Amino acid sequence: MNGKDEQQTPVDLHKLSAVTTKVHSFKNPNRIPPTRRYKPLRQLISDETKYLQTKDNIKFDTPTYNSVAAPPSLRPQKHYCDITGLPTKYKSPANSVRFYNVEIYQEVIKNMPPGVDQNYLELRGANVILK
Amino acid sequence: MTRAASETPELPPQPIYTLRDYKPPIEPEPFYQHYESGIPIAIDLGSSQMRAGLTKELKPNNVFPSVVARYRDRKAATTLTLVGNDTYRDVSVRSSIKSPFDGPLITNWDYAEVMLDYLFEHLGVVGSSVTGGIDNPIVMTEPVCCPFSQRRTMYELLFENYQAPSVAFGIDSLFSYYANSATPAKSNGIVIGTGHELTHVIPVVNGKGILTQTKRIDWGGDQCQTFLSKLLMLKYPYFSSKLTPSQATNLFEEFCYILKDYQYELSNYLSLDYLEEKDIVAQAPIEFHQVVEKKKTEEELAKQAEKRREQGRRLQEQAQQKRKEKLEQKQQEFDYYSDIKNQLEGLDSQDVLLTLQDAGFDDLNDFNKYLSSLKKSLKKSQDGEDDPDQIEDPSITWPLVDIPDEELNDEEKRAKKRQRLHKANWEAREKAKEQKKQEEEERIKFEKEQEEWRARDLEDWCNTKRLELAEYISGYKERVKLLDSFKDRKSAAAQRRMKNIADLAGDEANNSSSSRKRKRNATIDNDPNDTFGANDDDWSVYREINNTKLEEQQEEDQKRITALEEELLKFDPDFHYEDTFAASQTFDWKNLVLHKFIHGPRQSISISMQAEGKTPEEIASHPEIIKRSHQMHLNIERIRVPEVLFQPSMAGLDQAGLIELLGDLVLKRFDGNFLSGGQSYSLIQDIFITGGLARLPNFSDRVFNDLQALIPTGSPLKVRLAQDPRLDAWKGMSKWANTEESKASFVTKKEYEEYGSEYIKEHGLGNVCLR
Repeated sequence: MNGKDEQQTPVDLHKLSAVTTKVHSFKNPNRIPPTRRYKPLRQLISDETKYLQTKDNIKFDTPTYNSVAAPPSLRPQKHYCDITGLPTKYKSPANSVRFYNVEIYQEVIKNMPPGVDQNYLELRGANVILK
Repeated sequence: MTRAASETPELPPQPIYTLRDYKPPIEPEPFYQHYESGIPIAIDLGSSQMRAGLTKELKPNNVFPSVVARYRDRKAATTLTLVGNDTYRDVSVRSSIKSPFDGPLITNWDYAEVMLDYLFEHLGVVGSSVTGGIDNPIVMTEPVCCPFSQRRTMYELLFENYQAPSVAFGIDSLFSYYANSATPAKSNGIVIGTGHELTHVIPVVNGKGILTQTKRIDWGGDQCQTFLSKLLMLKYPYFSSKLTPSQATNLFEEFCYILKDYQYELSNYLSLDYLEEKDIVAQAPIEFHQVVEKKKTEEELAKQAEKRREQGRRLQEQAQQKRKEKLEQKQQEFDYYSDIKNQLEGLDSQDVLLTLQDAGFDDLNDFNKYLSSLKKSLKKSQDGEDDPDQIEDPSITWPLVDIPDEELNDEEKRAKKRQRLHKANWEAREKAKEQKKQEEEERIKFEKEQEEWRARDLEDWCNTKRLELAEYISGYKERVKLLDSFKDRKSAAAQRRMKNIADLAGDEANNSSSSRKRKRNATIDNDPNDTFGANDDDWSVYREINNTKLEEQQEEDQKRITALEEELLKFDPDFHYEDTFAASQTFDWKNLVLHKFIHGPRQSISISMQAEGKTPEEIASHPEIIKRSHQMHLNIERIRVPEVLFQPSMAGLDQAGLIELLGDLVLKRFDGNFLSGGQSYSLIQDIFITGGLARLPNFSDRVFNDLQALIPTGSPLKVRLAQDPRLDAWKGMSKWANTEESKASFVTKKEYEEYGSEYIKEHGLGNVCLR
């Protein structure tokens, strides 16, 4: 279906690309583009933390990227079946996957291929992370 | 048709939704025709979408996904740079689509710059004659509590690269609130801004966002979409094609919704009525490679078999013919040589040799040998022709058997041996025939008895049989349990078995008094005391350890059960198919959580096909089955995914949920006064939800319901949604940029050069200046 549509409206990629790559009248021609280093998100955040430590006008309630993060919940956690999402109170003793009833335990958890239990646990961040 | 199936009315087939990828709009990205310098340009640079336009318009001129693709065209030997919707217009480019964002922050500034170039070109921006840059003030969104490096680079880009005269930054959800307030300067409320990556709760007092009380949940539309696709991949591990991110986004946007009361509805969700209503069937595109292998008809099969038989017969005939011919040839040869032999008798030795050499023999010996072998083979073939089955009297066919050896010569003795063997064979066959006949008679007799019993007292017969059946079944089940428990090493049965094995091993060494001596003498295979295997029963030790005995018994019982059931089905008027053991073993899908979860509220058709007696290959290649194996059922996922916003622990996020944050805010962080005049009183009157996730159904109802439970009764709680959750941020920017008060909030190029990139002007809709 997609292929058909594209055949009907052939696009000239070069023309589309030229819009972006041509010389722009609104850009400073004398500016030498800085050499930018790609930094992943985690590094950006740790850089920000370091930067904030150098500032002396940060008070306890000054909003910063780190301080606005929501605190951990104080409410009791509700438990849900890892497989179906239904509310439950059972947990497999072997791999601590939560399950709704005996059927889920017998059919799914007992026959789980190795590693899949960790995939299920990963959904709620309870998997074992080897470092 | 079974009883159970006939009770339920035939349900219509479920509607099928086809998985869709993101499709760019057919129209090309619009170029703005009414560019004017001096008018502020508002850019809402979101991590999923970029919306931008001149603020004199009511709507942003350009709205496109925040993606860039660098694609190498090998033919033209150039690298193409495509942005936004253009990246989706060609299949070959799609694989190289990338976003300048990593999570909520820009990490690839080259891409960000490319996007801005692309944008300004489409807005028709013309470089100023004075500065050579953009001659428009720029209003831009930035993350809440934007990290310094982000702002610095953006400032650099805007002031140095584009030479913008002035720039103002703000927070998208506050701009959205601004757009949706009649009196923005006096409005009080709480803004819930749901984004692509982050969700914020920002209280607003007198039109100014209070960032000190702002909280952020690291969960947004993108995480929802990823969570959904992870759930579905685990639910359908056999799914051949991976769910693409854009397919998951479409699924999420179309079908996910928020529940007013999650706990209550969740527990009912897999009931059949509920599923009938809520279950969504999503079909992945499939290509049918239908193998046109026509099934052979009965007639054709019969023809084929007949042909084969015909061939066999012809071959047999041919072989017989050949044998006959050979025999005849041999006979002729024999006759001829016998003549020669007769002629030879009258000749002297010299002539004999000559004649023989003429005939091709070495000497007389050779000739005699050849003749006798011919004779033998002739006799053999004549003997072999008589059929052993037609033997009437053994004493005629094998006359030598009963004669004692003393009366026979050597030749006859050998013949007797052979005859005895033949006779023994024949006798064994006769015996087997007899036995078969006897068994048949017994069976007929038994059946007759049964029939008489049934005729006499059907009820008694039925009861007896049923009891018998029940006994077998219970035995069978018991054994299934036992076999099952062997799988678990820790079960009592398995432990007992291990003990038995240990005992067996121990026995050999310890049970006799001469064990020590034996130990000393023991060798691996020359042990004189080791008589294991002399008796065939010895081997059953292994069978016991192996559970083979149990398994064999199971098979036997299974056969008995089916036989009994067949009889009962035939004669017992109250015994139906549903009562059979097999039927009780096939699952009752309506009560199976797993079936309903994975296959929705309809019976699996492969089972009904099995019941129709189709072969596994037929079922596997059936187009409907192939189609279904490419289907996903969305049920609990529809509510489970958005629920993470309210219970982040569901996705392993160690943060408080939305309602908890709201409750905290109005109860603890502000004065908690819900009477007229109190801060909390004014805040709860306007809970405002904006951003992409605000489009989830029931969002406002859920927030209202849950928050109402936390605050005093009678409080004037009001929850509302943004009019256009996606574009209102831009509209707010546009509205704000046109007011007089905003004029003072722009940072000019000169101020930037003087104060550096930490400097921003606080205006209530943006971040706090940390300089």
